[in-house]
Parts: sequence; structure tokens; C-alpha cells
Amino acid sequence: MTAVQSIKPRRKSNRPVWDEEPTPAGKAVKALFMTCYAAAIVLPIWAVLATSFASEEALSSAGGNLLILPTDVSFAAYREIFSGGALTDSLLLTATLTIVGTAISLVLTVCGAYALSRTGSLLHRPILWFILLTFLFGPGMYPSFLVVQKLGLFNSYWSLILPGAVGTFNIIILRAFFMNSIPTELIDAAKIDGAGEFRTLFRIVLPMSKAILAVIALFYAVGYWNLYFSAVLYTPGLDTQPIQVVLQRMLMSTQGLPDGAQAAAQYQDQGEAAPTAALKMAVVVCTIIPIVIMYPFIQKHFTKAVITGAVKG
Amino acid sequence: MATLQSTAPPDADATRSADRPVVRRRRTVGQRLRHDWPLLVLALPVVAHLTVFHYWPTAWNIIAFMDYSPYRAFWDNPFVGFAWFQRLFSDPYFTPALLNTLKFASLNLLFMFPLSIVLALAMNSIISLKVRSTFQSIVYLPHFFSWVLVVTVFVQVLGSDGLVSNWIMGAGGERLNFTSNPDTFLLLVWMQWAWKDAGWGMIIFLAALASINPSLYEAAASDGANRWRRLWHITLPSIRPVIILLLILQIGGILSVGFEQYQLQRQSIGYQSTEVLDTYVYYQSIIGSQGESFGTAAGLFKGVIGLILILIANNIAHRLGEQGIYQKS
Repeated sequence: MTAVQSIKPRRKSNRPVWDEEPTPAGKAVKALFMTCYAAAIVLPIWAVLATSFASEEALSSAGGNLLILPTDVSFAAYREIFSGGALTDSLLLTATLTIVGTAISLVLTVCGAYALSRTGSLLHRPILWFILLTFLFGPGMYPSFLVVQKLGLFNSYWSLILPGAVGTFNIIILRAFFMNSIPTELIDAAKIDGAGEFRTLFRIVLPMSKAILAVIALFYAVGYWNLYFSAVLYTPGLDTQPIQVVLQRMLMSTQGLPDGAQAAAQYQDQGEAAPTAALKMAVVVCTIIPIVIMYPFIQKHFTKAVITGAVKG
Repeated sequence: MATLQSTAPPDADATRSADRPVVRRRRTVGQRLRHDWPLLVLALPVVAHLTVFHYWPTAWNIIAFMDYSPYRAFWDNPFVGFAWFQRLFSDPYFTPALLNTLKFASLNLLFMFPLSIVLALAMNSIISLKVRSTFQSIVYLPHFFSWVLVVTVFVQVLGSDGLVSNWIMGAGGERLNFTSNPDTFLLLVWMQWAWKDAGWGMIIFLAALASINPSLYEAAASDGANRWRRLWHITLPSIRPVIILLLILQIGGILSVGFEQYQLQRQSIGYQSTEVLDTYVYYQSIIGSQGESFGTAAGLFKGVIGLILILIANNIAHRLGEQGIYQKS
């Protein structure tokens, strides 16, 4: 045996034997394509980060509003964001919305998905169809707006959470996971041992679903953190706006567009002014950071979640 | 929607219930209620939520056929038939908005979809796992960024004061006005899509590629098929069901190209190039003064066309022998 193994040539990669080595030109083209694509994503993010730490002098000597190579580090922009003004309020509001919204959404989704994963129960099929039908037809912007008004939620922060609290797609993903990845025997065994549905859900099913729950929580959290449209639609009259709306106003102001003029004053009236570009980029960094922090923990699972929901099997 | 067939196949439900004791079927409703009430309690919040925030507004679509005024009692509003739709189709701003929507949707269909497939194929051919996972982490990330952020970054990089513009001017060139030029808006939209979502669109194809049996490739290779023939005769046919499934979904969503990306760039580009159906509804009836019934009619038009398109596309898929989004039952 050992003799045979030592004869076996050592291969450089784990390319299958039958696969021919690509031509150098082909390899180069592919490498170039992939590198350019990755660079097009990474470089702007890097430039945003570098600019957010730039001082006024560094920015003006670079002659623009985005730097690739920082010459010095200044925290003026971040000091301004967290100095307790409108930007701090906005970040706090967005964080609160994200936490409360994700909690509500997750509870609703788990309950719905578990109920629907127990096939053959009373009203199981009608409820399933009730949920699946929502995929085929959306109510439209105006009727939704009207209902929010009728419920008295217009210009209330609840209108940013409640109308979109249930992602039916997430329910279906989670239901598929409960049905395919948790052995029925386990649930039956719990039943025989006298556990009710609630106990089965909390003691057996949920502890086995931590990874997918984390992914679904991330999807919801990103949705709430990034919410812009619902704030434009449902809460235009509130003083403290979610961070995306604030960022949009700052963008308008630096593009010299009419909407932005008064907004610029609103976010820059406190004390020592950080450079406009740096301040704006620092807000961008603040909106990216929570996502980037969560990302590595979730990344290895989300492919699985997306596929459970989308491809048969 | 992709999941209708995958997670709720009628036959899968049938096999599951076949596993259960037959006795269960003989129970009366009362007995089943006593047995299953916790499940109903668990389903109740979701059902209530969808009733209030999905089905109730859907029912409100009826005002598209009424001369609705919020100051009248509901049933005092006279029915006017399709008058609002007539007014919608004769509105000078509606047709451009519809055409823009179709333009962006076909752009998506023709140039985004293939980009994701090409990316997935390129990715799938990377053999080193390290390179592969690094690349994956990078290209998925922008999917989680908001449109506000994407547009901001684009203005900073490609705008008239942006990074690229400064390089060009530094080299003696002219100022770039890419992010405020209506003529190149289509290209800008495509670049923003590609930046944000092309990588994410790859996930599903990667999964389909991973499920292809490698012995097929091995057999083809030993029969003398080179990599292009293997791509054409094995890879593409194997991922065809997924491609068709996604195509149907795309066609169903053809009138829903989104709101934020266009609303955000409306001021810098101008409304003529950025108006799509969603922004049209918003600016005409929520911001503007076209009224409740008009906005509802425009939204209903969009929803009904979307529904019809998805049913047609699915029907065609069935005729071609594909599964589509739901199975014929």
C-alpha cells in the first residue's frame, strides 16, 4: 500500500484528473475579470473609509471629496456625529427600530413557520395558501398608505415596523428548514414524552435552528437598518428621521440640489464643523459598520438559507 | 415565490401525512381543535398581520373603480367603472413612466441575469477554496447596503466632484457628469445593479452548479469533450430549470423595478428619465394631487399585469416541460 501511494504523483491543486489545465491566456483573462470586479467593490468602500478620517487640509489638497490614500487621521467627523445632535438622534432611532423591529419580525416568523411545518393539522392548508397567495399579488402603494393612515400610524414610528413586519418569504424558508432538517422522529418522540407544541418548539426545534434563525434575523435587521422608502412614505413629518433619510438629505445638499439646502444647515450647525465630505462619508461608514460586523458570523450560513428557500431539495 | 414548488409540493405533503397514523383522519373537527389549538394560536399573529397589512389594503383596491373621497362615507362613493383607468392611460406622464419601467426591466433581464450566470460559472471554475471564499465574501457584501448608500458612493466616485472626475481633470481632461446625465442613466442604473446585486444573484446558480454530478463531467471528458463542450452539453442543461424559474420570477416582477434607486436620483437626473411606475404613483397621488382613486388605479394596473405575466410565463414553462413556480395539480 505505502509503495503504491508513494508512486502516486503529488498534484499541485485539487483539480480533478480528467480536467485539462486551462491555457495561460484563459487563466489570465479570468483572473483579470475577477480581480477587477472585486476591486470595483472594495476600492470605493476603502475610499469612503479613508475619507471619513480625513481632515480639511488633506481633503482640499487632494482636491476632491474622496481620497484613496489618507495623509492624516482626524476624528472630527465622528466627534460631530456622536456629539448628541441630529445625527446622534437619527442613529439611535435607527438602532432602536432595528432591534424592536427584528424582535417582532422574528417572533412572528418563527410562530408562523412552526405552525405551518406541522402538516396535517387543523386548517393547515388554508393557512398555507393564505400565506402563499401574498406572493402573487401585492396590494399596491396607495392602498397600503391608506390603511396606514386609517390605522392612525401615519407619522408614527410604528408605521416603519408594523406594515412590513412579516416577510412571508422568510416564513417559507424557515418552514422548509423545520420540515426538512429537523427529524420528524425527534418531534414525535417529544410528543410521546408528553411535550406540547409550545414546549416542542422552544426546547427541541429552536435550539436546533440557531444558524438559520441568525440568518433570518440578519435579513430582517438589514431591512430595518436600511429602511428608506417606508420613512419617505409613512413618516415624512417627523423631526428625527432614520439614518438613510438623513444620508439622502446630506447627499442632496452636497450635490447642490434644492432639497438639500436646509438639510445641510440642520446637520452642520453644531460647533466645529467637520469637512462636509468627511462628515458624509463618516455617516456612510456608520451605516455600513453594523452590517460589516455581523457579516462574517452569518456569511457561512446565508447561502444555505437562500437555497433552502429557492431551490428544490 | 420561488418556493411555492420547492417547499410546498402537494405530493410532499401527501407523503408526510401518509406517514402519520390513519386514525388521525377519523377525528372530528372538535377533537382536532383540542389537539391542534396551540398551532392555531401560533399561526394567528401572522394571519392577523397579513389580514391587516396585506389583504385589507388589497380590498381597498376597489376604490380604483369609485370616485373616492375620504370625506364621504365609504358606500356613498359612486362607482365609476374604468373611468380612472381611462384617465390613467391618457395621462401624458403615464406612458413615459411605463416605458421607462419596461426599459429598466429588460435591461435587468438581458444584462443582469447573464452577468450573474457568467460570474457563477467563473466562480465555480476557481479551484482554490481560499480564493473562492474570499471572492464570495467580497461580492455578496454590497447586497446588504441600502440604495441610499449605493447612490451616495456612486456620486462620490463617478459624480462631477468625484474621484474619477478628479483623476480625469488632473490628467487634463473634462469634468465627468456621469451621475447627472440623463442620456447615460441606463448605463448608470445597470452599473449600480451590477455593483450591488450581481454577486448576490450568483448564489442560486452556484448552488445549482454544485449539485451537478461530477461523474457526468468525467464521462464527457473521457469521451473527448473539451471544457466548452462540457459547459454547453452538461453545465447549462443542468442549471436550466433554475434559469427558467428565475426568468419567470423576473417576468412576473417586470413592472416592479423598485422605487428607491429612481427616487434617489430623480433630482440630479430629472424626472423624465427616472420616472418608473412606483415613483409615478408616489409623485402623482401621494405627493401630487391626482387623488386616491387615481393612485390606486395605477397601482392596481401594475399588480394585475404582474399577476397575468407570471401566470403566462409559468404556463409557457409548463408547456416546455419545466416545473415553473408551482405544479399543475
